[in-house]
Amino acid sequence: MNILEGLFQFVCIYSCALLLLWTIKFIYGLSDYLIPSPGELVRIVHSDWVIYTRAVLNTLAVAIAGHILAVSMAAVIGLLGRTDSRIGHLTRTAAYNLQAYPIVAVAPIIFIFLGNGLASRLLISAMICYFPLLLSFLGIFSQPVEEVEHFFRVSGRINWKLEIAVRTFENLDKLKTVIVGSGTLAMVGTIVAEFLAATNGIGYMIRKALYQNNLARILFSLFLIGLCSSVYLSLIETLGNWTRRKLTGNGHEAGHEPELQ
Amino acid sequence: MSFLFNIISILVFTLACLFSAGCTSEDSQPPGPQIEDITGTRQPIIYRLKWLYNASVAGDIWALHSGIFRNHGLRVQLQEGGPEQDAIKDLELGRAHFGVASADQVIRAAAKGARVIVLAQIFQVNPLQWIYSGSSRVIRTPDDLKGLCIGITYGGNDETIMMALLKKHGISLDQIRLYAVHYDFNPFWKGKVDLWPVYRNTQGIVLQEKMDRGGHEAMFFDPNTHGISFVANSIITSRKIYLNNPELVKKFTRAAIEGWTDAMDPLNADQVALAVHRFAPDTPVDMISRQLDATRSLVAPEHRKKIGSVDRQAWQQTKDILVSQGLIQRPPDLETILKTPPYDMACGTGK
Repeated sequence: MNILEGLFQFVCIYSCALLLLWTIKFIYGLSDYLIPSPGELVRIVHSDWVIYTRAVLNTLAVAIAGHILAVSMAAVIGLLGRTDSRIGHLTRTAAYNLQAYPIVAVAPIIFIFLGNGLASRLLISAMICYFPLLLSFLGIFSQPVEEVEHFFRVSGRINWKLEIAVRTFENLDKLKTVIVGSGTLAMVGTIVAEFLAATNGIGYMIRKALYQNNLARILFSLFLIGLCSSVYLSLIETLGNWTRRKLTGNGHEAGHEPELQ
Repeated sequence: MSFLFNIISILVFTLACLFSAGCTSEDSQPPGPQIEDITGTRQPIIYRLKWLYNASVAGDIWALHSGIFRNHGLRVQLQEGGPEQDAIKDLELGRAHFGVASADQVIRAAAKGARVIVLAQIFQVNPLQWIYSGSSRVIRTPDDLKGLCIGITYGGNDETIMMALLKKHGISLDQIRLYAVHYDFNPFWKGKVDLWPVYRNTQGIVLQEKMDRGGHEAMFFDPNTHGISFVANSIITSRKIYLNNPELVKKFTRAAIEGWTDAMDPLNADQVALAVHRFAPDTPVDMISRQLDATRSLVAPEHRKKIGSVDRQAWQQTKDILVSQGLIQRPPDLETILKTPPYDMACGTGK
């Protein structure tokens, strides 16, 4: 899916949702306080687009950094937790337990120690999106690819680095899918952090708009969030396809031998 | 057999959990006489509060608990408010018959076409004030704020009030420092922020106690004493209910004001504290008692009119502040919003 196609699809879905909202508004005669009129939305877009665009780009930047951090965290924890050793068990238990706590309950502790700046947003973003990554990394790193690893094992050349390399290579598609999917969660995580305590980003703008019961601003924020998420997800997907092509040679799926000419 | 027994036990346990989860304080209210609502069906009257159960809703709790609503022929269900709840939206969607909202909420909503009517004003003095340590300074005039770090919630009422105060007293933003407030009080405890916004009668009492324990004298900076009358909670209903069911509006408003009047009577203080504690068991009774004392001075200040009076000048100032800060586009006509119930009521000052 290319970027333009992703954007077009998002705009279509958003427009349909907006039309549905306005249909409900006009059928039930709801005031602009409950659901803003098209005119009010246009006015808000016209007056606030610069500040809101800046805010959403700020959020996107933090989400990307948080996503990279989450992939790194998941890879490291996945490596530690893939073994059956005591450290492996302990790592898995700690990782699962950490995920069991809702982030809104953990966030105050994070904010107390890290303040309400970039570090907190980054950490919360990474914490929210790392778990699906971790599950996939654990699964991939601990699942032997017997038909390949057997050869290295009998020839005595197997080591943990080779194991990881083989398993990663054989599961490139799975990894790409989970990394793309977790990109959305990185965006969500950053917005949650901003909503809770930050002083920057689109989550912070939404919180302010909520204080003022300004649904038009929230609708505009949702549009920008959707737009940025679509672009980001399309970019990761494109990057994933490019990486796979580079690794597998001439564009064949990972895990399948190219056909002999 | 034991397998069947286990399955049945699990089912019974699950049902018990679901049942207890579904039983809220609203469901467990004692049944009272019902009144026909505007649809002609006999339903309880839904009263959506602005905030969680605490001393700020003592009068409403007391009206229910002591049977005042029932004595007026009303079966009322209190619904707890909170940050995600908005009584005006509930009124418009028909999910509530009456509610509590702050003046800025009402004016913003009316500016956007919401058909809402104010029946009574609960707080005569806005409880939103700033706590600071009196051990290091005393703030007598707004000029004393110069050079201090003031906590505000961006987008919140406290931002609006503080900006209005600064403007009124000619203090520019470069003469003070602003700090974005969240739920973490540490910046205040650590002295990073000099003034912290609190609700004087609830959070204010808790923090005051903590500061006392730490050897600091807690003091409050009240914008109301420096010319900023920004109206807080009022009892509201929808225009539809107001026009179509005047008897209901009359009975409800009278009962609610009676509840507040009784709750603010020092003679009832202990019983009211216990009633509030029933709804807010996490807060100790003695803390609620102190919060009630503070609430009394805000709901029934000695120099003000009777409980429930609508302070039209304060409403006008609230509207002017919202207009001057660009928070509303089309200022509503307050005369269409501020109504006392459609009967002769001694406590009202409206038309």
